[in-house]
Amino acid sequence: MVEIEKLYFTYPNYKTVLENITFSVPTGQIVAVLGTNGAGKTTLLKLIAGLLVPDGNVQVKIGGKTPQEISGEIAFISEAGTYFNDLTPKSYGNFLQDFFPSFDSTYFDMLLDFFQLEERPIKKMSKGQKAKVEIAAGMAKRTPYIIMDEPFVGKDMFTRQDFMQALAGTLTGEETIFITTHEINEIENFVDRVIILKESHIAIDITLDELRLQGKTIQELMKETIGYQENSLCSLLDKTK
Amino acid sequence: MLDFTEMVLNTSEPVYTQINKFVKRQIFLGTAKKGDPLPSRRELATQLKINPNTAQRAFRAMEEAGLVLTPKNTVSILYFDEDMMLEIQREMTADIVAEFVKKSKENKLSFDEVMTLLRQEWEKGENNEKYIKA
Repeated sequence: MVEIEKLYFTYPNYKTVLENITFSVPTGQIVAVLGTNGAGKTTLLKLIAGLLVPDGNVQVKIGGKTPQEISGEIAFISEAGTYFNDLTPKSYGNFLQDFFPSFDSTYFDMLLDFFQLEERPIKKMSKGQKAKVEIAAGMAKRTPYIIMDEPFVGKDMFTRQDFMQALAGTLTGEETIFITTHEINEIENFVDRVIILKESHIAIDITLDELRLQGKTIQELMKETIGYQENSLCSLLDKTK
Repeated sequence: MLDFTEMVLNTSEPVYTQINKFVKRQIFLGTAKKGDPLPSRRELATQLKINPNTAQRAFRAMEEAGLVLTPKNTVSILYFDEDMMLEIQREMTADIVAEFVKKSKENKLSFDEVMTLLRQEWEKGENNEKYIKA
């Protein structure tokens, strides 16, 4: 169970990014954290992962403990990458094994194989290949909490679908997962719940079952909530005529 | 083994409901037989790219409906008797009619217009008959 109550977060010399965030997530739930760029998605994920600390005395609680206390049980998979550039995928795997007791090197090798990654320094890889190393490393930690920040960035449609299949096939159902993405299509039938952030607040927090009872898709919910205007570019072009 | 690889998920119903309907449809069409084994929960999750808890939930729903039996320590198998088969047939037919009526109303057709069109279409192709079961 992940519990967050009345959480605020402000970056130094910057405006408040998150305000009065309250929600709890039961073990095994898969949550999509959505919103426009700058809505605070990555910040929220970093707070859950323990990479940032909330304002004041409020703390994120995971099974009653702080994320820092259980950092070995959390995998943070980020678009920015957490690997070391000079290492090859396999040597990076060896490194991780020393740090994460639950690191599953068989699974890691399988994922490297699955993603068709060659043994060469990560810094020489393409953006998409780097993202694959990041995902393989994160998943192979076999942690009960998985936090994915834009895992699909730099990956084509087929790789995205393959990745979803690999993910679906390797989860046990016990993992609690948070995922941010702009690729809504890939997750429409995968996540259990959607939280939409807007202007530092939670605008929507709904389960997929409830959403479908209302006859809506995540796409439609996004449009409705963040007020995406389909023809905004057209009206801009009209003005410049 | 019941194959789910051809199943296309929509975004309007809960996934477990869709799986349940898919299985019933296979029974209705005769492609799934009583006693056929089902994939494991993990295989189902992989085939449909869904999360394992959703696969588990689909199994539970089908078990509760008596459609799937999971004897201890063995694979789940499909089960249905005469009554269940009749119920499935009724359900599948009702679905088609409900969808048809909904679309007809959306197109602002009157009941009489629909009946006329239906008769014309029905009599147009005799070949169609073999595809339509009551």
